[in-house]
Amino acid sequence: MKGMFSTDIENRGLVLDPRTKLTVVIALVVFSLGGAGSGFYCVRAAVIALCLLPIVLLFTARRYKKALLLAALFVLVKSAEIWLVPQFTGAALSISSIVCMFIVRLMPSLVMGSYMLSTTTVSEFTAAMQRMHIPQNITIPLSVMFRFFPTVTEEFSSINAAMKMRDIRIGGKGAGKLIEYRLVPLMVCSVNIGSELSAAALTRGLGTKTKRTNICKIGFRLQDLTVLLLVLSVFVLWVLGMAGVIK
Amino acid sequence: MTDIAAQLKGVCFQYANGDGGALSGLDMDIMKGECLLLCGSSGCGKTTVTRLLNGLIPHFFEGELKGDVTVFGKTIKDTPIEDLAGVVGSVFQNPRSQFFCVDTTSEIAFGCENLGLPADEIRKRISSAADEMNITKLLGRSIFNLSGGEKQKIACAGVAAMLPQLIVLDEPTSNLDLDSIEELKKILLGWKAQGKTIVIAEHRLGWLDGVCDRVIFMKQGTVSAEYSVKEFFSLSTPKLNEKGLRAFRTETNYLGYPTGIYPVKEHRKSETITLENFTYSYGKQDAIDIEKLDIPKGSVTAVVGHNGAGKSTFIKCLCGLQKKFRGSAVIGGQRYKSKQLLGLSYMVMQDVNHQLFADTVLDEVLLSAGDDDKQKAIQLLEKLNIAQYAKRHPMSLSGGQKQRTAIASALLAGKKLLVFDEPTSGLDFASMECTAQLLDSIGNDVTVLIVTHDMELIERCCTHILHIENGRI
Repeated sequence: MKGMFSTDIENRGLVLDPRTKLTVVIALVVFSLGGAGSGFYCVRAAVIALCLLPIVLLFTARRYKKALLLAALFVLVKSAEIWLVPQFTGAALSISSIVCMFIVRLMPSLVMGSYMLSTTTVSEFTAAMQRMHIPQNITIPLSVMFRFFPTVTEEFSSINAAMKMRDIRIGGKGAGKLIEYRLVPLMVCSVNIGSELSAAALTRGLGTKTKRTNICKIGFRLQDLTVLLLVLSVFVLWVLGMAGVIK
Repeated sequence: MTDIAAQLKGVCFQYANGDGGALSGLDMDIMKGECLLLCGSSGCGKTTVTRLLNGLIPHFFEGELKGDVTVFGKTIKDTPIEDLAGVVGSVFQNPRSQFFCVDTTSEIAFGCENLGLPADEIRKRISSAADEMNITKLLGRSIFNLSGGEKQKIACAGVAAMLPQLIVLDEPTSNLDLDSIEELKKILLGWKAQGKTIVIAEHRLGWLDGVCDRVIFMKQGTVSAEYSVKEFFSLSTPKLNEKGLRAFRTETNYLGYPTGIYPVKEHRKSETITLENFTYSYGKQDAIDIEKLDIPKGSVTAVVGHNGAGKSTFIKCLCGLQKKFRGSAVIGGQRYKSKQLLGLSYMVMQDVNHQLFADTVLDEVLLSAGDDDKQKAIQLLEKLNIAQYAKRHPMSLSGGQKQRTAIASALLAGKKLLVFDEPTSGLDFASMECTAQLLDSIGNDVTVLIVTHDMELIERCCTHILHIENGRI
């Protein structure tokens, strides 16, 4: 029953403030995916540490197998990028560098994104948004989306099971329509659930004009400070590099 | 007037999308502190009444509304739905779509947070609601790891924490087993003791004896009859069925029987389907552990057991849907293992919307068969009474018709084992009877397993009972 987006609050290891997680995601997008400051040696080194951070977090959330696999993959591909790829020439060089870039640059952001979604509860998320003074008209639809992902993945796995029993698969009957066959029931079920969910939320006062409160205690703790310090140091190195202080 | 909690006067309502359940000139008074049961066949309008009381009509479901509805002096038409939130609490049928958070504590807090109560007050209310309902051990858990009964208790706690004066429940027991229903009964009795007004729309009636104070039988959108509790619960089963209502309680509670498989009706065939090595575990915990089991071929076997007994895992394994499952089924000397089980059996899911893919009913049925089977397909549709819908889109059919379409597709694909997951949950007598007739018409070549809590359905059409507890027989 546990999809990628369903938060497992009983088993999530190190608890970080949602804002910290968001900062890490942004930093990874800027530095790893966007490649900002990759001209400076120090920044490159610090970004590697930043890229390994989501893997460490996964490890604390007791997803050992996934964490180890991702760590091995990252280290392997990163070392290949540094030492092996420069030896190639021609087509081998372009293909291998594209593959490496794809994995090394994209993977950390994706891992962090999925970690954020799977360890943040809806109430933590809304609490964090409230602290950042983001208006309710934005927070509520976003939190509904948050709640909706696990439901849709659940529906999707039921539909997949049904398709298996009907022998609808690649190479089987109806292979040309695999996507349509998935989407139609998925949309019907999602619309039903979506409307039931909204009805239930309305009867419980979602959308009142009074300011919403939150019992969820969020805040920056030691682990948040450590993580934020790491992110900050990458930024500082980048700025120093731009200013010409370091190379 | 002060004794009236809610009043409906000359109410007519028609859903804009043409759904059943319209009201035509309904008058109803609901007294403060009473527990009122609304019953009647599907589409009689009882759900519509609950939606009027909590403001979902006219503020969420669109349609034409005439007449006056007042709840604690507030005119529903002129009161925004969010202002009713602290006054009327609602518990719905489907646990999977009434939760907003992913963990239990924030779920209970959700309503209070929306009302803008201070955090300390909310925490106090959560712990007192949890105490009252005996669910302290469920706090701080992930919603996705709870059983249906536990989810329904959390829903009740979330409503109770808002301290509403009126609580409406719309078919709250559809997905619950007998034990969970007992627990829900205790919760309702607790609310009654606190003087709350309760309105409950239900198909399953037996458990409400001793809970409700008054019964209103609805028909075609109006009040057809009103009963005192004593009158109502002395009605005979044929009388109830005549009105389209389910029996209170069939005599036998099969959960009281020992585990294993045994016949309840005469069954002539002696051949069997033999299941071997049906073991499966999630992590360290064994979900099912059945070494050998003979299911009579052509039987209709009810699979019963408490929530969490391993019934769903059992049928998933049987249909070849559980990865890494190593057991096998032997039928007529042929052995089906792991993925081959997918070709042997077919599950009709609780939400049949998951398994209809094609554009027309006929295409749907032909999807997993050859095109030259068209003649056979049409015969099959006729046999199942859905031939007139052959050109319709499956999603445009009613629930029962969808069920038939799914069954037709499985039969044409040559499946030998049909598994039904709770086919009658939330159905009134007429629809249950339809399903039972359908099961009768499937015939002797196919073996049917039904996972169900529905004692009336079991009595009506099952030849065998398979009782599983703790994953064992």
